Order: sequence, then C-alpha cells, then structure tokens
Amino acid sequence: MRRKASLVLLAFAVFFTALSPLMRWYAFPRLAKIPPSQYQTMVLEAKPATLIDYGTMKAKKVPKVSIVETLKGNVAASDRIEKTAGRDVVVWDTLTHVADPEGKMVSQIPERYIFDAHSQEPVHATGEMVDGDQVRRDGIEYKWPFLTEKRDYAYFDAQTRTSAPIHYRGTRTFHGLEVYYFEQTIPWTKVPLPKKMPVKGITPESVEKMGTTRWYTTKRMFWVDPVTGAPVNGEEVHKEELRGGQLLPGGGKVTAFAGDVKMRPDYVESTVALVKSQRTLVLLLTSYLPWGFLVLGAVLLAFSLRLEARSRRPRGDGEAHDAASAPESGPGTREIVSGSP
Amino acid sequence: MRALAAAAVGLAAALALVLVLTAIGTPGGETSPKPLLTTVPAHP
Repeated sequence: MRRKASLVLLAFAVFFTALSPLMRWYAFPRLAKIPPSQYQTMVLEAKPATLIDYGTMKAKKVPKVSIVETLKGNVAASDRIEKTAGRDVVVWDTLTHVADPEGKMVSQIPERYIFDAHSQEPVHATGEMVDGDQVRRDGIEYKWPFLTEKRDYAYFDAQTRTSAPIHYRGTRTFHGLEVYYFEQTIPWTKVPLPKKMPVKGITPESVEKMGTTRWYTTKRMFWVDPVTGAPVNGEEVHKEELRGGQLLPGGGKVTAFAGDVKMRPDYVESTVALVKSQRTLVLLLTSYLPWGFLVLGAVLLAFSLRLEARSRRPRGDGEAHDAASAPESGPGTREIVSGSP
Repeated sequence: MRALAAAAVGLAAALALVLVLTAIGTPGGETSPKPLLTTVPAHP
C-alpha cells in the first residue's frame, strides 16, 4: 500500500515539476494575448492650451482641449488576416478626436493598427493606415509587450508616420505600481494636414495649394506596467504650427495647437484598476504557478522518497515488516532503486 | 521500472494538460457595437 502511494506521489511530483517550465515557456506565450475584441476609450486634456483661430489665422489661448481616443478591436479583420499571417493577430481601428472647450471638433485622425496578439510586433497587411494614408509600422504603438524590458523600443509616431526610439529612463512608482518610465522626443518635423479640418471649405488640399505647411514637435512620456506592458499614465508636451505660404506670407508661422496633454484623472484611476487586475493573470502564468508547481513537485518528491525509504526499512522494524509482508513490496523496492537516478 | 512508469505518467499528463489548455486558447469574442467616440465622455 505504501509503495503504491509513493509511486502515485512520484507521478504527481513529476507532473507538477514538468508543468512549471511548460506553463512559463510554452503556455504563457500562447495564452497571454490581447483579446481581438477589445474596446477601450481614453480621455486626455491640455489645460490650458493654444489653438489656432482659422478666421483670423492667429493663435488664441483656450482653457481646455480634450483628446478622446477610442480603440476598437475588429474581430472580422483579425480573423481574415490570421489566415495568411499564421499567428494570432489583433486589428485595432482607432480614432483620435480632438475637441475645443465647447466640444467642437478640432481634428480627427483614424488609424488601423495591426499587431501580433502576444509579442505586440507589427503585422503588415492591407488596411494598415493613418488618416487614410497607407503606412508600414516598424515599432510598437499604444502598448508595450508583455514582460516589458528595461530598454529602448521603437515607437510609431502617427503624425510623422515613422518610428523612432522611445527611451527607457528608469523605474518609478505610480499609484502603488512599479512602472517603467519611457520618453520620446520628436523634433520639429513637417507633417501632413489632417484630412478632416474643423472649418467648412478648408481642406488639406486647399491649404497645401496655398503653400502653407504643418509642422509638429512633441515630447511623449509613458509610465508602463512592465508585467502587462500597458501604459498606466501618459503625457505629451505637444506643439503644432502652420508655416508660410499665402496664408502666412513672409515666412510667418502660427501655433495651430500647443499644450501639455495629460490623461484625465478618472481615466488614470480606471486604467490603473484594469492593469492591476490583468497583471495578476499574467503573474499567475509567469511566476505564481511556475514557482508554486516547482515547490509542490519538490515537496511531493520528498514525500514519495520518504514513503519509499520507510517501506524499505530492514526486518525487525515493525513498519518494514508490514511493508515486506505486502505482496508488491519486495521486487518493487529493487525496481525503485534501479529506476532512481 | 514502476518508478519510471509513474514518472512517465506524470510527464505525459503535464504535457497533455498544457497542450489541451493552449489548444482551447482564449475566446475571440465579437467586435464591440460601441462607436468610435466623437464626444468627450463624462466618465470611463
């Protein structure tokens, strides 16, 4: 009986010990994924801000500019792309809607971002775009990979349609979470005008015909939870200018938008709460279960060996006598010895 | 020999469990009917 129990314990010890690395290095990359149906909104605010008045072509101070970002997972598109990509893909259709203090639209930029559901690596497929312009992303956008590393990443800038390094600048504590702080500065760069302009009759084409160009610079900051790779806070010191042409003769320039854009506090709270719940699931697969299984396997192996040793005590010992009298104990003991490493 | 068999059973069970779990995978779900927002929401 004791021998059977030790064999059962041994089987469980091997089961849990094997499960430990399998969980971490086989199951985790296949199970930890961004769901393709995710829907998420975010509101950022610049208080105060500077906006252009298209009537006078002069900059004016406003108390607040709001930026509403929506990410919407397109399941049908991801299913279609997965067939050729051969891996799990997420397709995010996003809209960045900028509104003035009265809620009137300042600009709207739609994007389609296609990426690997686990690694966050960009996937290139038809439909990848920013504001209707076909793009080819080289870096991450919106989110970092699971188990973010303390290093620079390539980050895609939607305004310039290019990727540039976003630098790891150290570890910080944010709302009780240990987060990695990243920073990226985009120098003044000529960028396309948004397809959707706030004034009727003004189109990007009409502005370009007059020779006026749009320039942009930003300092982008993210506080990222390294377990889930999700930013829990974001900030941008953002400046846009219109320069030259018939609208601003003599090489003139005017601020189109300027402000220190920060996440609205209620969205920071909800994002932190969401990330805290999700990071537990990731830690379960990467840390809690693998280490727990390893310890459990070791404990079970110790129990198994102890039972086996007790069943092999020499005659004269009461327990060994009992064990020896069991029909399966004699030969099995030798087998355990020969089968043990 | 029995010990080896017991260890093999444990290993096979672990492999089978992980393979089944990863084969089932995570649910795909459906595209949300909610719109891409063009107004500032009052709360998250």
